Amino acid sequence: MGELGVEHFLSLSAALFIIGMMGVLIRRNILIIFMCVELMLTAANISLIAFGWQMHSLDGQVFVLFTIAIAAAEAAVGLAIILALSRRVHTVDVAEIHELRD
Amino acid sequence: MPWDLIIFYMLAAVCIAAALGVVVATNPVHSAIFLVLCFFNVAGVFVMMGAEFLAVIQVIVYTGAILVLLLFVLMLVNPDDLPEFHQGKPVQRVVGGLLGLILLLEIAIAILNREVVGVTGTATPEAIAAVGGNTQAIGRLLFSDYLLAFEVVSLVLTVGVIGAIVLALPERLGEKVVQRKGTISLGHARGVDMEALGEGTPEGEAPILSGRGGFAKASGGRKLVMTNDPDEYTGA
Repeated sequence: MGELGVEHFLSLSAALFIIGMMGVLIRRNILIIFMCVELMLTAANISLIAFGWQMHSLDGQVFVLFTIAIAAAEAAVGLAIILALSRRVHTVDVAEIHELRD
Repeated sequence: MPWDLIIFYMLAAVCIAAALGVVVATNPVHSAIFLVLCFFNVAGVFVMMGAEFLAVIQVIVYTGAILVLLLFVLMLVNPDDLPEFHQGKPVQRVVGGLLGLILLLEIAIAILNREVVGVTGTATPEAIAAVGGNTQAIGRLLFSDYLLAFEVVSLVLTVGVIGAIVLALPERLGEKVVQRKGTISLGHARGVDMEALGEGTPEGEAPILSGRGGFAKASGGRKLVMTNDPDEYTGA
């Protein structure tokens, strides 16, 4: 417990990931679910950097850079889908959305 | 207790509290603000691990760009469409909590029993300082070993942005939304359905048919009121 080790960062990452996962499981607002997915992505980023920090390697940080770029593209597409969905079916409640066609 | 440990615990505590706030907040805007707080603390944790460049990228991209986009969408979505604060059914909540606990247990066991396998890399703090810092070191790696991946990611970003624009466009461009003129009933504030108006039209009720050559006569000697919006008709 005395030294700041990789276990501390991994525990934080696990906690954030599980909070995000439970948010995805129990909430019904699609925007909240989207935020929880971002939370889980960030938790994975913390793990990658922590392992790189432990092994004295920069590859983990480069991976995180790519992850953030892909997350930005995912956010743009995902939010556009939410916008189109709210315009078409007039709800953002995932329990109400159960049809692929009109 | 060393200082770095104290700072880590402070960052982690605020981070986890903010993450819980994202999940339990009733107002989606509050959830977004909690997410900003969480991501700022994650940036602090990145700095503690010597990833200064990624900490700045985290703040700019996540809290700067993605959260602003999220708040825009939050404002564009009709507030009537947002569900009330009804979380899932109790069964769903119990199953979610149970799955979370199981996963937490598994990850805790994995973290505690972990053994380091592999060769330690060359990017020691001294080596990073020798090339000029974290940003320079990442740049050298990015444009030598990961050049192809870098180009592919830029292509993915372009495709993603084009896809977002196509998805968010209105159904047909250049077509204005035609507002329906009111078909109101003089008897009911919200109008009557056409099928109900057979032979025996009830006293005082008449549909106003717009765009079909004239209006129906108001029966029962009541005044005919023309409005654009059913709410304008308040029984004048």
